[in-house]
Amino acid sequence: MEEPILRYEKIDFLGEGQFATVYKAKDVKTDKIVAVKKIKIGSRLEAQDGINRTALREIKLLQELQHINLIGLLDVFGQKSNVSLVFDFMDTDLEIIIKDNTIVLTPANVKAYMIMTLKGLEYLHQNWILHRDLKPNNLLINREGILKIGDFGLAKAFGSPTRINTHQVVTRWYRAPELLFGARQYGTGVDMWAVGCILAELLLRVPFLPGETDLDQLSRIFQVFGTPTEENWPGMKSLTDYVQFKQFPAQQLRHIFSAASDDLIILLESLLSLYPPKRCDCTQALQMTYFSNKPAPTVGTKLPMPSNITKMEAEKPSLKRKLLDNIDGGSLAKRLQF
Amino acid sequence: MDDQACPRCKTTKYRNPSLKLMVNVCGHVLCESCVDLLFLKGSGTCPDCNILLRRGNFRVQLFEDPMVEKEVDIRKRVLRDYNKKEEDFATLRDYNDYLEEIETIVYNLTNNIDVVETNKRIEQYKKENKELIMKNKAKIGREAVQLEEVLEKEKELEELRRQELSRLEQEAKKQKIREKEALIDELMFADGDAKDILNTFAQNMANKQEELASAVPLVTQFSSGVQFTRGASNQPIPIIEEGPLYKYEPLAVPDRCGPDAPSIANIVNCGYLKHVRAENECEKAGGYSATLPCLRALQDALAGLYHAS
Repeated sequence: MEEPILRYEKIDFLGEGQFATVYKAKDVKTDKIVAVKKIKIGSRLEAQDGINRTALREIKLLQELQHINLIGLLDVFGQKSNVSLVFDFMDTDLEIIIKDNTIVLTPANVKAYMIMTLKGLEYLHQNWILHRDLKPNNLLINREGILKIGDFGLAKAFGSPTRINTHQVVTRWYRAPELLFGARQYGTGVDMWAVGCILAELLLRVPFLPGETDLDQLSRIFQVFGTPTEENWPGMKSLTDYVQFKQFPAQQLRHIFSAASDDLIILLESLLSLYPPKRCDCTQALQMTYFSNKPAPTVGTKLPMPSNITKMEAEKPSLKRKLLDNIDGGSLAKRLQF
Repeated sequence: MDDQACPRCKTTKYRNPSLKLMVNVCGHVLCESCVDLLFLKGSGTCPDCNILLRRGNFRVQLFEDPMVEKEVDIRKRVLRDYNKKEEDFATLRDYNDYLEEIETIVYNLTNNIDVVETNKRIEQYKKENKELIMKNKAKIGREAVQLEEVLEKEKELEELRRQELSRLEQEAKKQKIREKEALIDELMFADGDAKDILNTFAQNMANKQEELASAVPLVTQFSSGVQFTRGASNQPIPIIEEGPLYKYEPLAVPDRCGPDAPSIANIVNCGYLKHVRAENECEKAGGYSATLPCLRALQDALAGLYHAS
């Protein structure tokens, strides 16, 4: 076997996260552009399992997952004490598209993004894996307009009767209420809630529930959906971190999303049900009338792209974005990106 | 008109044509100079009813009857909080009842009936509907801004149209002068019959008039379509291209080299769950269900049974 480090020719620096540095590289063997994620060695504590835990999760899970809407792990190689992961190269992500106010998102665009997200997630859930960190930043898009779910650093198998999970998952703004109440046993609902928040964000073009603390997050949720009661969320009081909240009346989603069609509101209500068992799963969601109704989803190649990608190849979107984020305060801690 | 007089200084409109009568929330009238005099310090009491008044709240009287003036004031104040719209009610009946209630409150306050009681009622309403009031206020604000924008746009268009018209008019005038000069030139230098020349000139003029008349309707295109361009002018208008409609296709089930596991419905109905620990209240509230490990265990158990090396 040839020396792997020689196989990938570094083209560009793309970005740096907490656990890794990402480079754009060319695969000499296939002439394909790829993203190489070089895992940082990190402290001894982080490397308890011999390798950084998030990297281990990505390697473990992605190796067995093959779906058009999931990021593909092409190769893993080690060099000295480093481990590098080779991924499909993705041009942009949904966060950049949402924040780019020169892009107009039509209802057909939104539908196309949702279908691709839900299809990838359906495959993931069918294989007993929860992503647990869905957010626009982790929905990667390439120039063919194909959306792929990325960053499996928090993904984990679910459906075990005994295993206790941590509730400290998912970026706060997309975190489901049961997680905020400290649930240790949960299901696909946590991902579905995040999808609902992403859909809302696609419509509003700003984060739907930008909570500043975990408690603020809950109160924002209840201000929109009404404070749950023992009737519409049985057992809520038995959750570990349950706190009594002020009674807020529920608002009509129709008033918040005044431009949304009725079938879309039904989908949103289903994705954002407070009581987790009432939330729809991916299969149910994809079968809803919103997706089969007009307008038809935009075909991939017609989806909008940020202008710096269509115009200039050599531009470094992630670095530029980092600078931009620093200017407006960068309210969210950046996770890995590649 | 003549009996408009200030109750305090007794000046009438007849004696002082520039007399301006002002009213405050209590509905009692004072003339402008009396207001200046009495409310030098910014606040004072009404000479009629001794209510404490602020100078800033005085405004020019619009209606002759001061009671109407007072009612307008009260109505304005009440409607600030009672700002529900018809969409906020389930039935027309509810909406009508609500309107009736507003009228009652306004009437009571205007005629000093149960003032304390009514004010309490308003406070109560304010407390109960705080959220909705805030929301509607924001909505009304937004609508006002939008309306203003539309008006602004219309004004601009009007201005443009006016300029265009005056330009056309001037052009036409110049044209006329030029034609007249041409005619005179022709009359002076041409050898033909003067009558013929005049006749052809008249004919030409008539033809032009007709042309103009038929061209006029084109100008009216401006007046509509204001909203279509609002806010989107500097953004590329997305081209809507119809792709195929989406149809759900179930995910291809991977070949597990074994018999299929039962569906969730079968797991629930056929007693599989008896052999699995049921979820407790807390787990259920978190979205966990015993069907999940049950299905997973069955899938794991059945997978690979047909496998032959």
